[in-house]
Amino acid sequence: MSDAVITRPVRVPSRSFGRRLRDWVANPWGKPRFLVLVTWVYVISSIAPVIIAIQFSFNDGRSLTAWQGFGGARWYWGDPVNSVWHDPALQHSLFQSLKLAGLDMAIATPLGVMLALGLARWRGRLASASNFLMLFPLVTPEIVMGVSLSLAFLNVFTFIEPSTTAQMLGHVTFSLSYVVVIVRGRLFSIGRQYEEAAADLGATPWETLRLVLLPLLMPAIFSSLMIVFAISIDDFVISQWLSCGADCDTIPIRIYSATRAAPLPSINALASIMVYFTLGAIGISYLVYRLMTRGEKPARGGARSMVSEMGAFDV
Amino acid sequence: MREHSGIYPRGLWQAFALPGVVWLLLLFLVPFYAVIGVAFGGVDPIFLIPVPAWNPLDWNADSVVQTLRGFLPGGDYWAVFLRTTLYVAIALALCLLIGYPVAYYISRHAKRTKSVLLALLVLPFWVSYLMRMLAWVNLFAPSGYVNDFLAWSHILPDPPDWLNGNPVSVILALVYGYIPYLILPLLAALDRIDKSLLEAARDLGASPFRAFLHVTLPLSMTGVLGASVIIALPMFGDYYTPNIISGSPTTSMLGNQIDLFFHGGPQPAIGASLTLILSLFLAVLMTYYMHSVARATREVRDE
Amino acid sequence: MRDHDAGVSAILEDLKAGRISRRQAFKTLAALGIGTALLPALSRLASADDQLMGPGGIPLARPNKPVTLPLWEDPIKSGLEPETDGTFTIFNYADYIDKALVDEFGKLHKVKVQITTFDSIDQAITRLATHAVRVDVTEIVPDRLAQAVAGKLIKPVNPDYVPNLKKNVWPSLQSPFYDQESRYTVPYTVYTTGIGWRSDKVSEDIAKLANPWSIFWNAQAYKGYVGVLDDSREALALAMLYRGFYDINTEDPAAIDKALEDLKALIPICNPKVNITQYQTLPEGTSWLHQSWSGDLLAGVFSYLPEGTDPSVLQYWAAPRGKGPIQNDCWAISATTKKPVLAHLWLNYIIDNTVATDNFLNFNGYQPPMNSITPDALVAQGRIPASLRNAVMTPDEVGPDSLQECTLTAKGQAQWQSAYAKFVSGA
Repeated sequence: MSDAVITRPVRVPSRSFGRRLRDWVANPWGKPRFLVLVTWVYVISSIAPVIIAIQFSFNDGRSLTAWQGFGGARWYWGDPVNSVWHDPALQHSLFQSLKLAGLDMAIATPLGVMLALGLARWRGRLASASNFLMLFPLVTPEIVMGVSLSLAFLNVFTFIEPSTTAQMLGHVTFSLSYVVVIVRGRLFSIGRQYEEAAADLGATPWETLRLVLLPLLMPAIFSSLMIVFAISIDDFVISQWLSCGADCDTIPIRIYSATRAAPLPSINALASIMVYFTLGAIGISYLVYRLMTRGEKPARGGARSMVSEMGAFDV
Repeated sequence: MREHSGIYPRGLWQAFALPGVVWLLLLFLVPFYAVIGVAFGGVDPIFLIPVPAWNPLDWNADSVVQTLRGFLPGGDYWAVFLRTTLYVAIALALCLLIGYPVAYYISRHAKRTKSVLLALLVLPFWVSYLMRMLAWVNLFAPSGYVNDFLAWSHILPDPPDWLNGNPVSVILALVYGYIPYLILPLLAALDRIDKSLLEAARDLGASPFRAFLHVTLPLSMTGVLGASVIIALPMFGDYYTPNIISGSPTTSMLGNQIDLFFHGGPQPAIGASLTLILSLFLAVLMTYYMHSVARATREVRDE
Repeated sequence: MRDHDAGVSAILEDLKAGRISRRQAFKTLAALGIGTALLPALSRLASADDQLMGPGGIPLARPNKPVTLPLWEDPIKSGLEPETDGTFTIFNYADYIDKALVDEFGKLHKVKVQITTFDSIDQAITRLATHAVRVDVTEIVPDRLAQAVAGKLIKPVNPDYVPNLKKNVWPSLQSPFYDQESRYTVPYTVYTTGIGWRSDKVSEDIAKLANPWSIFWNAQAYKGYVGVLDDSREALALAMLYRGFYDINTEDPAAIDKALEDLKALIPICNPKVNITQYQTLPEGTSWLHQSWSGDLLAGVFSYLPEGTDPSVLQYWAAPRGKGPIQNDCWAISATTKKPVLAHLWLNYIIDNTVATDNFLNFNGYQPPMNSITPDALVAQGRIPASLRNAVMTPDEVGPDSLQECTLTAKGQAQWQSAYAKFVSGA
């Protein structure tokens, strides 16, 4: 056998146009131009309307479609009758939305964390049944939940009237599932190693829970708080069905009635205020998340991005 | 296999789960039974408010049967049911068509700009649905930017009226509104696919496209299914989107009928029956979703 | 003999439940050989022939078949002192009464006043019936009075506390057909249902058409800018009036179905929107032709007209008496009130000339039936544009031959609702 390199004429198969197009489109290691285009077009077209709506909250005139010049904070606090600051109905809806979101966060998060821990570690048929029960609200159409809750308060829990309390109960009910799913995802990524290590080092169960598990879960708990805030602020159907009238109206309900009639830019201003709030909340939560997971290595292979935590569907 | 190796006391997790389960039982299952009770129940003769029948032996199936008959071809609800199914199907298809490439790109490729893209992607999720609809309505109003652009660029010199009973607007609004709720779970699912599997496929000689077709796509199917169910089911009960975008009977959906029979009137039993039938129709999909979710959860948990 | 009695009781039961009319009852009883002997029992149900029965045996009122509501308890005694301190709760639609006037009342009588709102009368009745709210006075519409009285939701009124009724209110509404002797209510607003349009967008002079209602069925040119009211009674009545069918309280399935077919025919013609926001959309120009209530046009001029728009582009037409629907809202005292005297004083307050006029002109645009308010005076004072003169009613429009949407039996209501649901489903 000689050491000569065996050379054979190599035939490079010529690639047909179709194949080349496909490769160009779906090459995981090449430059995916088509995907880039779609993604950026999508991102821009999904955010642009919101930016434009915020832009019109600064409109000088009453129009929501024709830009009449920069009017400053006219619709936020300038206009003495119709601005958010001066219109008691709009103000009230802002506070009602924030109130419900706050209550929702305060109740759904602890309840959900406990439920997540319980469901993740419990075994048995009862556990799977509870798991099914927990997943139901995620996929139930809101109108079904709205109808069923309002009927329940009318006929079963008659001591609860349509009111902020009723709205809060409804919000917590559908928020629970989101919290469970997020926290459970985090639990799986943590694994049992740390708790077992703590136990080996002599910690009591409560100490383990308090000093090991809970801090490890903090990012997920934080994400849950933010998610619960977002979905509570966003909720329309349940708030409307359990509303007691103008006093219980939240921002989405106001936007809905205004959009069906003839809205003023003050509605844009109100909605923009909500966007500023949520942006601030995300910003803070992102910073806190980075702070909390600094130096942490994911226990499982693959990218465990913040989205997966907040993805809310890591079932 | 003993679970906790004795770290935690027995029954701890059951105790943790109890409050949440009780809450869901009381505020999710019981209300659902209230719907059944009202659907099979009667009506107070003076106030015309529903009087539910709790005992199955007292059930009066007239309303439910009458409503069911309405779903047969030619019945009262046949047209609106078809229309709703059509809208949801088209909207879902469009959402997947747009959402899957986006999710795929971000999970597989966007290395440097990944966090920026992620943030931008998540942003609409945080903006209230109603506000996005408000923004959409203003853009598509007769004097809005869309028509201005269409006229200026001569693509459509005489732009149609988008907001007057136009089914295209309603479907596009549904896509715009629900797509963030599809992309996030899809992204999470695609993220979870082990890159090494793809590398293995390539090493075994598959072209990039075949690797995608035979490895990525099948592995992402549960994610696709889950995400589709998460947006399709709520979309079925949507009634506010057609009201905001259109307000005309030609685009009304099933949710509008439920809304009508419930917000006052002498026939709450029909509203309850409609809700019941909608839920049962969706229950098939729901159950399938939960089975696959439970299976996936077990696989993950047993790793 | 026992079967005989059973048959008679069955007939009386049917009569009370509204399943048969008095005339039918008479006929059947006569056939059974019983007639005059039972006259006293039958006449105790104070009603006219062929009158349908409503809840609790209270006959359903019609403009030509007035009803005196039975007193389920005695009204409070005269001459009592008004209660002070605490909270006085008013139950009303949102934005339907001027908060300033409400606060005035509170200051006058040294109570704290609050307004609790409802989105629809159905919601109001449900919440009162289930005691979800406890209020002192409530706004109500005449077609719910039978329900409210049968269900003991409202208290009878002692007229000694409400002298303004005789002084200020139209004579035709002092003893209205739905509440003879004003035992339970005072009127709040009156309005007609007609057609509102913008003269700068709609070229036809609708008022001069032979059948003005037909404009909707010929509105192809305005496709997408037409609206009908989101109300099962009003929408179907529109179609009935278009055909010259004036029994808008009919329970005849054939008539209702015909109206439904006509209404559905509107969809391909002008694709109407179905809502009640015409008070905003007409002035803003996003709606050009809308079935409207008279108050909407005035409210539009007072509160929603964009700067620089000429108010005279807003036009309104209502049919003459007996050919177009009128309606009026009322106030009543809630049965759960802890301040009955104050509640009576509220009823008197709301029909005070100044208060009522202020509420109308400065706030909601819906006209109170006050003698002091006439269309000519309002136009002369420049309070309303001349083009909307006929949006203000006059007392002679209310009479036994006027059309008013009144209570139906439960079966009738169900028919109207189902027909309307079919229209809204866009089938």
